[in-house]
Amino acid sequence: MDKVLKLRNLKVVFPSGHGIIRAVEGVDLDIHQGESVALVGESGCGKSVTSQSVMKLIESPPAMTRVDTIEFLGNDIKDYSAKQMQDIRGKDISMIFQDAMTSLNPVMTCGKQIDEMYIRHQGVSKKEAREYTIEALKLVGVPEPRSRAKNFPHELSGGMRQRVLLAMAFACMPKLIIADEPTTALDVTIQAQVLNLLRSMQKRHEMSLLLVTHDLSVVSNLADTVYVMYSGKIVEKAPVKALFQAPHHPYTVGLLASVPKLSDTEKTFSQIPGTVPHPMKKPSGCYFHPRCKFATDKCKNTMPPLTTLSENREVRCYYPLNLKKEATA
Amino acid sequence: MKNGDQTILEMRNVSVNFPVKGGLPFIKKGVIQAVSDVSLTIKRGETFGIVGESGCGKTTLANAMIGMVKPTSGEVYFNGENLYQLRRDAFKKIRRDMQMIFQDPFSSLNPRFNVYQIISEPMFIRGQDDEETMVQRVIELLELVGLSKDDLTRYPSDFSGGQRQRLGIARSIILNPDFLVCDEPVSALDVSVHAQILNLLTKIQKQMKLSYVFISHNLAVVKNVCDSMIVMYLGKVMESGNSETVFKNPLHPYTHALLEAVLDTSIKEDREQVILKGDIPSPINPPKGCRFWQRCPRAMEGCKTIPPENIEVESDHFVACHDVNGFPEGNFEEGYKKPLKSFDDDLSEHGKAHQ
Repeated sequence: MDKVLKLRNLKVVFPSGHGIIRAVEGVDLDIHQGESVALVGESGCGKSVTSQSVMKLIESPPAMTRVDTIEFLGNDIKDYSAKQMQDIRGKDISMIFQDAMTSLNPVMTCGKQIDEMYIRHQGVSKKEAREYTIEALKLVGVPEPRSRAKNFPHELSGGMRQRVLLAMAFACMPKLIIADEPTTALDVTIQAQVLNLLRSMQKRHEMSLLLVTHDLSVVSNLADTVYVMYSGKIVEKAPVKALFQAPHHPYTVGLLASVPKLSDTEKTFSQIPGTVPHPMKKPSGCYFHPRCKFATDKCKNTMPPLTTLSENREVRCYYPLNLKKEATA
Repeated sequence: MKNGDQTILEMRNVSVNFPVKGGLPFIKKGVIQAVSDVSLTIKRGETFGIVGESGCGKTTLANAMIGMVKPTSGEVYFNGENLYQLRRDAFKKIRRDMQMIFQDPFSSLNPRFNVYQIISEPMFIRGQDDEETMVQRVIELLELVGLSKDDLTRYPSDFSGGQRQRLGIARSIILNPDFLVCDEPVSALDVSVHAQILNLLTKIQKQMKLSYVFISHNLAVVKNVCDSMIVMYLGKVMESGNSETVFKNPLHPYTHALLEAVLDTSIKEDREQVILKGDIPSPINPPKGCRFWQRCPRAMEGCKTIPPENIEVESDHFVACHDVNGFPEGNFEEGYKKPLKSFDDDLSEHGKAHQ
């Protein structure tokens, strides 16, 4: 499989009046063609910053970004200028944001916002662009696309708006789609619709997907490979099935256990004690050790390296769990 | 009557309508039926779940329970007293026994108040205690919800989402209420914090013998937390009853769809999902018959015009659906039992585009 994206040693730092916030600390990420990769973690763990860095959307200043390589389709885009990035954004990489209401322009019709994609990147006329737009809206399951294209965002429901965003993201058939919490703002029944759509579009057109989410149930439905992030670092990387069958990092184990399931019979929920460390006051050693029940002195003093356990499985822990399970699985 | 009675809250045929005022040229004047004809009883000490999508009226229903929205028609009895016929001072007194936890801990705490001011405010307003007892009580509560007395002088901005929700919980229980409405208490929080807050709520319920109304759109949470529940759609109750019974044997197509839509972390190969098509229709001028027929995979001709009744199908399990209960006796137009075939085809075509 060809690599669509290769990210090496990404570091993003936000200096502030009270100290330095290290949002992302040395993240490596690989996305192959047709693969969907999920970046999972709690709010403040740096997952959105990572995904936006790929698009170079993090403004500097205030942020300071340092990266060894961002290779997109074999080209190193690390030093691309703003102008060069504009040619890539929307055409080869596109993004779906969480809140469809705030990421659409409220004073422009939905159709016009999609038209822009074709006019900018494919150099077609306005009229042709509208035909493409209608085709794109049809593709994402918007009923009566011709009249919907003339609607303003506030005239559409949340699910429809998210579809418009999807149509926009898929417009130029990009190689990579970054979806940042694409369904968090939606109702459960609408969420199921949008996820199904996203999955089928991605599979049919052999696109790669970078899914950023905190919702493990979305991950299990959509992703092939999962990166779990905690406090700016990748703590575990695994194929989705292996991760859910045998999570190795104590944080992943806790995260999985805390998702309420329909099949549960107990009235209490298992929980991870404590809270995510403040980004300016990260603990010494392994960042997870104050919340980890397996922590030892070694964990308190040194940060464990990201070690490869088997093919495609990496974990940042001295005492990974469920190793036997992996052997039987 | 206060403590001997098994029922803490009863609603009889409650409807809440909001008028839509003209002014915008494209919006017809009309009425939003946020809640229409809902009857329910909540027993002392139980957790009562209200499930539904956004806009189905679950928050309005909860507001009507605690006297924040006056119902257009129907009665609400709390501890045997008709809430909306009480005199103002009596009403204020009874309101102390019912409190609310809000969905968004980021907007429900005053950013200019410190923790002590936030939590003690209900006590302060009651005005029966001196400063010292109030501080004592606040510290006691902070410890109960898992914070410490060092936090007394800090401000909401110093806390994470989960901690803020703990503050909201502490504030809601300071007056020892009987009845607590939790309006989506965890949906604004991170997944790993969900469990912490839910466990805390359960602990408090046991300790203080509270009755909860638990509003959520997450069925997995409702199943584990609630004793009885109702499923709402567009202001109407679709299915209700003992939550164990409902989950064991869900009958209404909408409940089925909600259950299907719950994403599980268990990986299943090629899971067959019945995914609801379309959006929730506008609550202004809702469908005449069953409110769900436009999205219902089992809809029949008659569903368009004949409103279904809430019928008890087994003990403590009510369903409002023609497909489950059969149509009532009466003279209806010919062919009312015909499934909406054309509609169905339309949907499957729509569905194919997704695959």
